[in-house]
Amino acid sequence: MTTRRLQQVHPPAAGTGELSTAPGDELDIEVKSSGSGRWEGNVRLDDSRTAPFLAHRDGQQVHVWIGGESYRFSPAAPAVRARGPGQGASDDIVCPVPGVVIAVHVAENDAVEAGQDLVIIESMKTEQIVRSPRQGTVQRVSVQEGDRVDRGMRLVVLHPLPEESGASLPPEA
Amino acid sequence: MFSKVLVANRGEIAVRILQTLQAMGIATAAVYGDPDANSPHVALADEAHALGGSSADETYLDRRKIIEVAIKCGAEAMHPGYGFLAENPAFSRECAEAGLVFIGPSPETIELLGDKIRSKEAAVHAGVPVVPSSPLWTPGVFQPQALLSEIGFPLLVKAAAGGGGRGMRIVQRPEDLEQALVSASREAASAFGDGRVFLEKYIPAARHVEFQVLADSAGNTVHLLERECSVQRRYQKVIEETPSPALDPDLRDAMGKAAVAMAESAGYTNAGTVEFLVDAQTGEFYFLEMNARIQVEHPITEETLKLDMVEWQVRIAAGEPVTLSQDEVQPSGHALECRIYAEDPYGNFAPATGRLLTWRPPSGMGIRLDSGVAEGLEITAYYDSMLAKLVAWGPDRQAAMGRMSRALESFPVVGVTTNIPFLIRAIANPDFRSGDYDTGFIDKHPELTAPPESAPFSAAAAKIAELFWQSNGNSAARRTAEAPLDVPGPWSGLPKAIFP
Repeated sequence: MTTRRLQQVHPPAAGTGELSTAPGDELDIEVKSSGSGRWEGNVRLDDSRTAPFLAHRDGQQVHVWIGGESYRFSPAAPAVRARGPGQGASDDIVCPVPGVVIAVHVAENDAVEAGQDLVIIESMKTEQIVRSPRQGTVQRVSVQEGDRVDRGMRLVVLHPLPEESGASLPPEA
Repeated sequence: MFSKVLVANRGEIAVRILQTLQAMGIATAAVYGDPDANSPHVALADEAHALGGSSADETYLDRRKIIEVAIKCGAEAMHPGYGFLAENPAFSRECAEAGLVFIGPSPETIELLGDKIRSKEAAVHAGVPVVPSSPLWTPGVFQPQALLSEIGFPLLVKAAAGGGGRGMRIVQRPEDLEQALVSASREAASAFGDGRVFLEKYIPAARHVEFQVLADSAGNTVHLLERECSVQRRYQKVIEETPSPALDPDLRDAMGKAAVAMAESAGYTNAGTVEFLVDAQTGEFYFLEMNARIQVEHPITEETLKLDMVEWQVRIAAGEPVTLSQDEVQPSGHALECRIYAEDPYGNFAPATGRLLTWRPPSGMGIRLDSGVAEGLEITAYYDSMLAKLVAWGPDRQAAMGRMSRALESFPVVGVTTNIPFLIRAIANPDFRSGDYDTGFIDKHPELTAPPESAPFSAAAAKIAELFWQSNGNSAARRTAEAPLDVPGPWSGLPKAIFP
């Protein structure tokens, strides 16, 4: 039995995010067609209703469309754990959307406040302002104006918070 | 009539225009940026010319390249669509200088309407009510008293040029005004190359209602009734409908006459749209702006009036008169449009990219899809995030909403996150269904953008995903799924299928 449970990547899971199944919970699935990484069929929801579904595998991701919603699952380790605000927010500030860098408002060694504008990304005609998640000092700026960036790419690195802040951070290499 | 027309646009509107040109027997030419090489509009046109490059500036905004292509391929007219160069007076002028007919109003009219201050003056001149506003703010010279006389708080800071919410701020308190003016001016300067801003009275419970007009060069001007566009996010429309639930016959008549007066005052020719704000509390209406182009949401007017707006645009540009009289404009039934955006409804509508692994548009009675994409296509961050427009027509509003809901629910899109789940909920929302909504609709209903509840669909999705993953996508393996998945024995649980 595989140990790699799938995690729901999108939409953000409501509630606990656990994909648990209640005892006695049953699910009738009829796969009507399959092949080349696809399933298509029907699920019985209750005595009177069924719903069509579609599943599609794309590399390490599984997409399932059902009930007008597209769900994305991945067996990968849980994505970057979002740490609570205030205490030990991440040092790496990553790009939230794919696009082009249209402005960089900070430089190395700049002191920044929580909420301060760092970088502006233009994506699909919309400006997305990337703000600092916490107070700190800029260690490195990884992009410059005009760079193409992807979601998840590192934009700015802040100096780690000192140990006494309460966050248990791994020692710097 | 023209023998060949070049379409200087992309996506669904390029496809839409090409289809009409082909139906009229006119030869078609398309242009494209590198990321669009496999896009439907490229395949559809009789000939397609690469502009070279990826960014909008290098491609669909490059006036010189596009005009060169048009001349080289022997096009007689240029259709700009919406966005990009559609409301660029220099482009319109350069087309004329190159001997090409620009399908739209004159450069002078585009210039006038593109300037919010001057267009407002034209509205006042035409006797059309406008929202109280200030003169222009001069950067560096801060004079709140002179600007605030009849406006009061909350107020809007707006850019004289452009639109789409750029250079726009809502200001609640006097102490926030200066910063709002400075930042709005800076944003407008970078977006439009024009940092002029002014103040305008803010109407909190406003509805956004626009009137379509058609005008020929002989001076015949008719309006084609209204479109209600109050469901917006980031000042961009998401759902439109006609007729508007907010108008009674008297108000409709008054606004229609105002729209025609505005178009005539601006010397307008071709298809244009006069946008109004309607104060939901008082029922008063105010001129907002006039858009000198085909509007994204034109299909709902086409559905209730059974006419082809693009065909009218081409005929008017070719010198034909508007033969439609105002009395002949009699709508039938109700139409709704939902814009399908590649964006995350659970993440503040942030744009999304990726490959369209599945794109299976719905069809059926009263359903129309204007789409610029196809299954397998890569959605990039270079251009706009609108993928398609789903339009539903019904004999009445209830029927149109029913058809829209059904179509949205049976529209599988996989691989790129879309706003379809949001649209499904918005159409089902009681305020929307009653017609009692304004531009604050999305903010007022956070449940429209909350992650879905676990039962029953997300629980089913999780189980399907587990089974599918374990079977590695093979049909043979699906019988080997084991107990930990809590799936009862045989796979023949369902008596009959829903899919045909």
